[in-house]
Amino acid sequence: MRKLKDRLFVAYVVLATVLTILPLFHILYCVFANGVPVLLKGGLEFLTGTLPAPGEGLGGIGPAIVGTFVLTVLATLMGLPIAVLTGVFSAEYPNSVIGKATRTLLLIMMEFPTILVGLFVMDILVIPMGSYSALAGALALAIVMMPYVAVYTEQSLREIPSRYREGAFALGLRRRTVVFRIMMNLARKGILTGILIGIAKVAGETAPLLFTAGGSYTVYFQGIDRPIGAIPLLIYQLVQQPYENYHEIAWGASLVLMLIFLAIFLPIRLSVKEVKL
Amino acid sequence: MKMDRFKLALLPVTSVVFGIFLLMLIVYFTASLPIFEKEGLAIYTTNVWKASETGQEFYGVLAAIYGSLYTSIIAILIAIPLSIGFAIFIVDYAPKRLKEPLIVATDIMAGLPTILYGIWGAFVLVPFLKKFVMEPLYEHFSFIPLFSYPPLTGYSYLSAGVLLAIMVTPFACAIIREAYRMIPQVYREGAFALGLTRFEATKVLLGYIKPSILAGLLLAFGRAIGETVAVSLVVGNTFNINPSLFAPGYTISSLIANQFGNAFIYKYMPSALFAAGLALFVIGLVVNVAGLLLLRRWSYAKA
Amino acid sequence: MKAIETVDLKVWYGSKQVIKGVSLSIPDKTVFAIMGPSGCGKSTLLRAFNRLLELNEIARVEGDVKLYGKSVYEMDEVEVRRRIGMVFQMPNPFPHMSIYDNIALGVRYNKLVKSKKELDELVEWALRKSALWEEVKDRLKEKAAHLSGGQMQRLCIARALALKPDVLLMDEPTANLDPVSAGKIEELIYELKKELTIVIVTHSPAQAARVSDYVAFLYMGKLVEVGKTEEIFENPKEELTEKYLTGRMG
Repeated sequence: MRKLKDRLFVAYVVLATVLTILPLFHILYCVFANGVPVLLKGGLEFLTGTLPAPGEGLGGIGPAIVGTFVLTVLATLMGLPIAVLTGVFSAEYPNSVIGKATRTLLLIMMEFPTILVGLFVMDILVIPMGSYSALAGALALAIVMMPYVAVYTEQSLREIPSRYREGAFALGLRRRTVVFRIMMNLARKGILTGILIGIAKVAGETAPLLFTAGGSYTVYFQGIDRPIGAIPLLIYQLVQQPYENYHEIAWGASLVLMLIFLAIFLPIRLSVKEVKL
Repeated sequence: MKMDRFKLALLPVTSVVFGIFLLMLIVYFTASLPIFEKEGLAIYTTNVWKASETGQEFYGVLAAIYGSLYTSIIAILIAIPLSIGFAIFIVDYAPKRLKEPLIVATDIMAGLPTILYGIWGAFVLVPFLKKFVMEPLYEHFSFIPLFSYPPLTGYSYLSAGVLLAIMVTPFACAIIREAYRMIPQVYREGAFALGLTRFEATKVLLGYIKPSILAGLLLAFGRAIGETVAVSLVVGNTFNINPSLFAPGYTISSLIANQFGNAFIYKYMPSALFAAGLALFVIGLVVNVAGLLLLRRWSYAKA
Repeated sequence: MKAIETVDLKVWYGSKQVIKGVSLSIPDKTVFAIMGPSGCGKSTLLRAFNRLLELNEIARVEGDVKLYGKSVYEMDEVEVRRRIGMVFQMPNPFPHMSIYDNIALGVRYNKLVKSKKELDELVEWALRKSALWEEVKDRLKEKAAHLSGGQMQRLCIARALALKPDVLLMDEPTANLDPVSAGKIEELIYELKKELTIVIVTHSPAQAARVSDYVAFLYMGKLVEVGKTEEIFENPKEELTEKYLTGRMG
């Protein structure tokens, strides 16, 4: 009887595993199965063209691709310095009250509902400016990205064996030199990982862009104070429309997004194993 | 006490992070004030959505609060057995070569753009659930309140709950898995030395990491309740407070996403939506802080 | 009938051989000490007896271990572990469970009692046997985490005894305890050997001399010498044994 329970238990854990992982494969499969025909039908034009009218073919998602790129770069530029420096602070002063509070705050912000970030940026930037803009979208993404980069930076710095730190100080170097020239260098792989993970994450975010970027799919980039599109945002808007061709475009765009995400995420994730000192 | 110059130099940068957070809190409060002044707490306790350009507006987001809680609870109930079982499988049963790929798969699922879950949810999951789960259950068991709503479109609390479960289980599993993996070997050996079977020993060890399991589920709940796009594409976006799993509804985040587009035409709608956002802010904060605290304190049991 | 008998026992961790053909017999109702320098395989040997080695993915066993003449590999491993109890170097009562539940745990799952009353009696019996009853009788429901190191170890002995084993394995049971607690445990061993066979691994020859009737000297996975304690200590036959006993080896 006890043996029977043991065997049932094995069946349960295997079932749990399958049920958890299966959706991933099904999603990948569906995106491929529905997206590849669209890409094949649309050809290169799909990546460079603009959004067509309802019912009029596939056109292209060019503006969205460019938009995602622009937003991600802008967000990185805006958020990176603050994030890295905050991570450094947290790593250098782990026992101070502020240090601990910072770490906690970062962890909280990592899990913060991203729609609220978007709404916030809308209130402080979009309304005063009077229009949606790339700037607002990028700011929202930067806020979402910051905790990830900061936490990875902090973690990477903390993992460096203390003997390197002590050695550097023993040489009479000032703190800023020790940290920025030596520690950061030693931790660069981990920090880079964090940055790339942050980029992968915000490239796929939709909610922060809902009320900040605005979406613009029939014209290309018009300036950072003008509305801009992004692939996730486009998919979100298209799925809610009733038109068949828009749904097709949505699947095609999903495939593009998925490929972009995996292209950034997989290499980092698979290489993390070799981060050793 | 001499202040470290380095620290002083970094302080402004760190304050920016705090500043942003505080600013967010302030913005939500001030933006919600108009609706609080107008309706008091009724904004949270009633289910009504009367938008009007001629001044008779009244808003109550109870339906959204109900929906957020309902769908997230469904998600967690599904996630509990799945995340624990999956974690145990990876640590105890998986062949060596399978462990790393499974963990990578988990990480991919946790990081995958949520819109991809959304489009799959809307076009694949919903029709599937409607045909194979909701319709049969409605046909035979509609006398049970849970199944009493006719599944016309499939967009429902159930669809949202299942999709959320799929999204947050890998996340909860990662936390539980780490805690389970790190149980000191002495306790593992001790359990087996008492002549317990695999199943029995595992139960004892799970008891040891109970705080971590709780923390993982709390954080997963926090994630579920804050999720926007995937949910809004499958929940039906209807003002409803219905116990039936098959009824469509709203969640706070999907309400905001759905209604903000045209909110500015009306005088008080933006404020109402900010108030809803404030509620989500507070719930999210409480749940995440609780989860983080538990996770930190879990080593209470270390002898 | 010997309590435990090993037949040319060999153990590998991966490609490294840790136990190199050990054959020994442990007489019934005696205290049998296994001593040797660190890393010589004593703990591994012990874990081969109750098949705890199987928890280790890279461990491989050849040869046989017999419990009262029957190979442990022909028995259900759960049954083996009930009959061969184990106490570890690091006291490991489950900190999230109460003192009572720690003892009741093994008893319940192995279905050794039929009623709550029997269970209560068994718990008390086990605690008395391990000289812990007086100290904890009023706080059985408290979590085990609140006990001192010595008390924890006695709790571990109690919960092993509650299963009414034939053999009790002890892996350096006093290594992490203060001298007073260690002394109490050694007294316990002396009392318990009237009722069961005790196999104790120790890195202290002095302890082996104090508590055991028989002693085996293990060196780098090989059995160097085995026999009655007084004989080995007064007249070691092997040079290695002599070196170890006189402290000229770690």
